[in-house]
Formats: sequence, C-alpha cells, structure tokens
Amino acid sequence: MINYHPNDDMLLEHAKGSLSLAMTTALSAHCELCSICQEKLTTMTQQHAHIALIEEDAAADELETSIDLDDMLNSIMLLTPSSTSERLSQSAIVTVKGHEYQLPKAFRQQVRETWNGLGKISRMRLETDSGDARASLLHIDAGGEIPEHTHQGTELTLLLAGHFEDEFNRYGPGDFILLDSDHQHTPKTEDGCLCYTVVDAPLRFTKGISKLLNPIGELIY
Amino acid sequence: MQNIQSQRSQSRYAKGYVLYNKPYMEEKNSDITTEQLKEKLISVANSRSRSDYAMLFSYFAPKILAFGHQRLSTQGLAMDLVQETMTAVWTKAHLFDADKGAVTTWIFTIMRNRCFDMLRKVQHNREDTVSDDIWPIFETAEHVEPEDHMLTNKLMKHVDELPPLQQQIVRGIYLQELSQQELASKLNVPLGTVKSRLRLGLVKLRSILEKHHD
Ligand SMILES: [Zn+2]
Repeated sequence: MINYHPNDDMLLEHAKGSLSLAMTTALSAHCELCSICQEKLTTMTQQHAHIALIEEDAAADELETSIDLDDMLNSIMLLTPSSTSERLSQSAIVTVKGHEYQLPKAFRQQVRETWNGLGKISRMRLETDSGDARASLLHIDAGGEIPEHTHQGTELTLLLAGHFEDEFNRYGPGDFILLDSDHQHTPKTEDGCLCYTVVDAPLRFTKGISKLLNPIGELIY
Repeated sequence: MQNIQSQRSQSRYAKGYVLYNKPYMEEKNSDITTEQLKEKLISVANSRSRSDYAMLFSYFAPKILAFGHQRLSTQGLAMDLVQETMTAVWTKAHLFDADKGAVTTWIFTIMRNRCFDMLRKVQHNREDTVSDDIWPIFETAEHVEPEDHMLTNKLMKHVDELPPLQQQIVRGIYLQELSQQELASKLNVPLGTVKSRLRLGLVKLRSILEKHHD
C-alpha cells in the first residue's frame, strides 16, 4: 500500500514535460508503481494535450501567417511508414550485494555505473540535468542506517523495494517522500531497501561524530 | 517534520478533472472535432491518404511550432520539433490505438517527448532518447515475433502436404525469405497469383495443423 504520493502540481509539471530529468524520472517511476497517480497522470496529459494542441490558437495563428510549412509537408509525405516500432521496452535490472532488482522503465537507459559503498550502504550515482542536484540509487542492507543529516534544499526519496523507518514514519515500496530543508532525520531499515534519491544540494550531517563523516555524506547521496 | 508534498493544494487542473471527463469537444475556435481528427488519422494509417495527412498537418503544425517556440526558444529548433513530430504522425499512424486515447493526446505525447530529448541534446549534449522510457507512447502492440516463429515452425512441418504450386510459394516466402514480388518475377506469374496461392496455402496448413491437434 503506497501512502505517500506526489502532489497534483508535480504530476502536472511531469505531464507537461517541464521537470528536470531526475525529478521526472522519479515521477515516472512512482506512476509505474502507483495506479492512482497513473490514472491522474493520464487525465492530466489528456487535458494538457487539449490545451496545448486545440486551445492554443492565438499564438499559433500568428506564427502560421509568417512561416511556410509546405516544403516540410511535402518532404514528410515522401517517407514510407516505419514497419516496426523501434524497440521493445526492456526493464532495467540492477544487482547489488547479491540482490537483484527490476527497476521501473524510466531507469532503463540511466543505470550504467557501478556501485560505490561503505558498510551497509551502496550508492550508484545517476545523471542529472541540473547543476547542483544529485541523483542516486541507494541500497541499504538489512539493519543499516544513515547518520542524521539535514539538507540544504529538498530531498526526494522514492522507495523502490523494501522498507525503511525514520523518526516519524515507516515507508514501503512506491512511497514518494519529499522533505524540505528544515528537518533532520535518520532513516533506518530493518529488512533492507533500495531507493532512488534526488537532492538539490549536497547533504550535511549535523550530529557530533557524524560531522567527521561529512565527506561520506557526499559519497552516499 | 514537514512532509512538504501535500494533497491539499488543489490545482486548477485537479478541479478540472470531473469537468474534463465529460465530452470536452465544444470547439470554439475550430470546426474540426475529435472524431474527425481520429477518422483522418485512421485514413492516413490505412490508406496513406495525403489529403487527410495534409489536413492534420495544417491543423497541428502551427500549434507544435508555438509549443516549440515556448520551450526551445529558437525558430530553428521549433521547426525541428514540428518536423520530428509530424514525421512520426505520418510514418507511425498505423501504431495509433484509438482505444487507448485521443489523437491529440497521442500527438502531444510524441511532441513532448521529442522536445524533452531535444532540450537534453541542446543543453547537455545528450544523444539518447530517454523520453520514451519516461513517458511511454501508447501504441498498438505489434505482433509478437517469438510466437509467430513457433507457429511458422509448426506449420512448416506440414508444408510437404500442400499441393505443389502452393508449396512452392510458401517455401519461397518462409524458407527462402523472398518477397512476394520477387517470387512473382521468379516464377513469372502475376503478383495477385502469388498472393492467392500463399493465402490458400496458409489456410490449408492451418487446417492440417488443427487436424493434427484433434
Ligand atoms: Zn501515487
């Protein structure tokens, strides 16, 4: 049962295609796991398609008068229909610490690096489109925890497999957890978990001895 | 702790759900309906109708151009977006599945996805096309190859039981992998004859196969 969902504004920006790669990947993956949000997304996409392609007349009319598209039309009609769809969607599979995970389709072309890790924590850095943001797959072995930390900006965690708990809640697969910079938390996992995390600035650990671990903070997220 | 995602902020889109699920085609600005768009696209898919495609093109191209201007800033890139999107509409019309969504949704999806990949290419020099993984395009599932091969293999066990003329055509197509046109020239018979012998041969093979299953 998924308890934490992206809000409607985020879903809409995802439908429009205006989020960064890392965020839109998280939204896509959540929707693949969550039928409620998938349904909302379908409706929003229809609705926004209608706005963009039926209602947007004024701007389009203005452009239409100034540009001649006939050459393009004729060149397109010289092409023959493509006989096959380009590829079959395979899913992305990752293996870490002897566990194999099948990831949502959005990750298919994004997982390519190897895992780095320390103790119970393994991280695979993924690509982001925006400078300061960091995106990772984070695997925590059963019984593992991340030292208490805050973040300078928001921290998004999409739980892909397993469970984790922090001071406030217990989270399960598909949960989409967006936290702002005002809070601190210490996620722990009893049974181990795999998450996709996006932070828009490097994390800083806040507590005592953990301060010494700050370089590890950068390693982990 | 604040979980800052919230369901309480109802966007205008969220409020619009219910309204939107009702038929939304009260065209104010244009006299073409959703149903007509669908008919035209299906006619492009089935008969490569140039006039219907030209209709769709003149309807959608300016809107794609306007969308491209907003997102991509330059005229050249916006034109590329029109070209890529409308090319897909022409070459992939047969993949459009009317049961899965409206024509506008299909074209919007293609446009948004191409635009996302173009932006990545321009801004980050990425050549990949992640967009179709992120937003799958609804299309008809094409026939599944492995099953076809299995069926073909099963059918071919019985090819010897066909009358010689049908056997010749079926072998040519499925074993030598010749095209129907190549076979027609090779055997010096009209293309129509190749087609009808092939059809008869396959029908016969299927009935043989069914008999063997009884
Ligand atoms: Zn959801």
